[in-house]
Amino acid sequence: MTELNDLFTAVADMQEDTAMELTRKYLDKGVPAVEVFECYQSALEEIGRRFEQQIYFIPELIMSGEMMKASAEILKPYLADQAKDDAEGQKKLGRILIATVEGDIHDIGKNIVSMLMDLNGLEVKDIGVDVPADKIIAEARAFGADVIGLSGLLTLAFDPMKAVVEKLAEQGLRDQIKVLIGGGQMDERVCEYVGADAFVTDAVHGVNYVKGWLGESVQS
Amino acid sequence: MSEQKDKSEAVVRQDAFLDQWASAAGIEFPDAGKKADYQERAGLVADAIKISPEIKRVPIMPLTTFAPTMLKGISGRQAMYDPDAAGQAYLDFCNTYMPDTAGSAPMLMYGPALDTLEYQLYKWPGNGVAEHLSYQFHEKDYMGPDEYDHLITDPTDFWLRSWMPRTHAALAPLADAEPVYGSMELPMLGPWLISLGTPQAQGALKALMEAGKQCFDWINVLGGYLGQIMAAGYPFGAGSATKAPLDVISDSFRGTTQLMLDLYRRPDKVLEATDRLVRPMIETGVRGARANGNPLVFIPLHKGADGFLSNDQFEKFYWPTLKAVMYGLAEAGCVPACFVEGGYNQRLEYLADTSDIRCMYLFDRTDMSRAREVLGGKVCIAGGFSVSHILTGTPDQVRHETKKLIDAAAGDKGYILSVGCALDEAKHETMKAFVEAGKEYGRY
Repeated sequence: MTELNDLFTAVADMQEDTAMELTRKYLDKGVPAVEVFECYQSALEEIGRRFEQQIYFIPELIMSGEMMKASAEILKPYLADQAKDDAEGQKKLGRILIATVEGDIHDIGKNIVSMLMDLNGLEVKDIGVDVPADKIIAEARAFGADVIGLSGLLTLAFDPMKAVVEKLAEQGLRDQIKVLIGGGQMDERVCEYVGADAFVTDAVHGVNYVKGWLGESVQS
Repeated sequence: MSEQKDKSEAVVRQDAFLDQWASAAGIEFPDAGKKADYQERAGLVADAIKISPEIKRVPIMPLTTFAPTMLKGISGRQAMYDPDAAGQAYLDFCNTYMPDTAGSAPMLMYGPALDTLEYQLYKWPGNGVAEHLSYQFHEKDYMGPDEYDHLITDPTDFWLRSWMPRTHAALAPLADAEPVYGSMELPMLGPWLISLGTPQAQGALKALMEAGKQCFDWINVLGGYLGQIMAAGYPFGAGSATKAPLDVISDSFRGTTQLMLDLYRRPDKVLEATDRLVRPMIETGVRGARANGNPLVFIPLHKGADGFLSNDQFEKFYWPTLKAVMYGLAEAGCVPACFVEGGYNQRLEYLADTSDIRCMYLFDRTDMSRAREVLGGKVCIAGGFSVSHILTGTPDQVRHETKKLIDAAAGDKGYILSVGCALDEAKHETMKAFVEAGKEYGRY
């Protein structure tokens, strides 16, 4: 791994072009694709740390997602099936289903959260915007979701969020699935009104909640 | 900046425009009492903006979109298609809650004109969202990464021939029109006119004429209610609106995701484009404010909020051109009224830089105690009341929270009480409690 330091630095420092050049160069030189992939994983952990330290923000999150996508395309032909399985199946911590609730069509925040959850080792199913409560619950059930993430920018999202929580309870699923609400106007009062387990106004806190919950359930 | 300090020329012009607005000159009132009410209310806002030690009470300025109509059980659809219903609801909202400023009813816009233009930038009730809801932004990348040079070289040409054809589908044929510049000489005039003569271009121009006519008729109806609102003693909380240049590019042109990548992939182009938009954004704000005789220029702030950008990125890409727009407005005598959406807890020190002009920052999720600590006595601060109290709280809770907020934020006399978001909806009892508590606890 040590000889891949420059790749690590390029990814962690958001030097997109350099990162892609180095990725190709190392693969051409015969460095095993799994090692290159692991280098990206380490760089992502570093990016996560810089996020925590509030050095990095949304531009870096989106850029790291872009670099991961582009590198996956480059790596694909080099990865043996087994390695591919290893890479793709790597340590998924749990499953989160994400949707913007009925009546709200905003998706920027939701997309950022989906991306960050994915980069943090969660299996994410994003079912889009303006999704009715019944569909959210049916999809969560089919997906085996540990957490449902409900997004909404408008105050008009409060009631549709509440409807999801109430219907989860009616169907006896409330104890099995945590509910996280997110959006610009969320606060503790809205959280209480909706009956969610937590509220967030930014993606990083959302990931922290979910990782905390899943850590608890693994321990128990 | 307190009133006593030496005034710059810009501040002299701003104060003159504020005083003219608060004088109620040119407005017809049914009686002297209503005129006095108007003068008192606008005077409170002007005093708060000037941070005048003479101010008697904290002014109350609720920002509203669909709340006045929804409170009356009018659907979002009707609010956007029936100017009588919308205008009456805005008038009733003022007479019921008696705030110090009225909301800008024209910001509801007119649905039929959007239908004519096949407008794509938003979805609205009955057109992409349910009829009982509000309009919502439909963000996409309406500008390609290779189009910065077009925008930078010629914003108007980019607007008319590239961006509008994508965001106003009925105007799509204008993408094939020739640039206007050939009109400088008779022998070169032909190509431009010919390109406007195609059946497609003619269809687009007809749609544009139709939408213009629809909006003209609409404002003639709505305008009657706006006159009644002022005659009832309520000044409007905004004279016009404009935007921060980076928000224009991020919200309306490139989309957030692409813009965030542009900050790494083509930072110089982003900087050039934001610079290029400063003058047009000043012009947009100034013209509307002058036309309406109201100096307050509403500027909703988006991508500069905490969490979107680092302070370094804010300092490089967002703040210089927003500040340039604010100072340009101030030079023209207007008062920049920034609606600071999201949180600005990491950015308050930057805002303190504008203490040499009259301006207002209306906060959404920013800690108001800290806002006062950093900005108190320097610029007018406003807002900070959480909409969740209005929608999920009781009147008693609202009264309690209103007092708490005033205690935290109003001590320097340059504070305007407001909910931290533009209200799409509200509840009658809590809305009433909010304004009443503001008047009770806001007395200096």
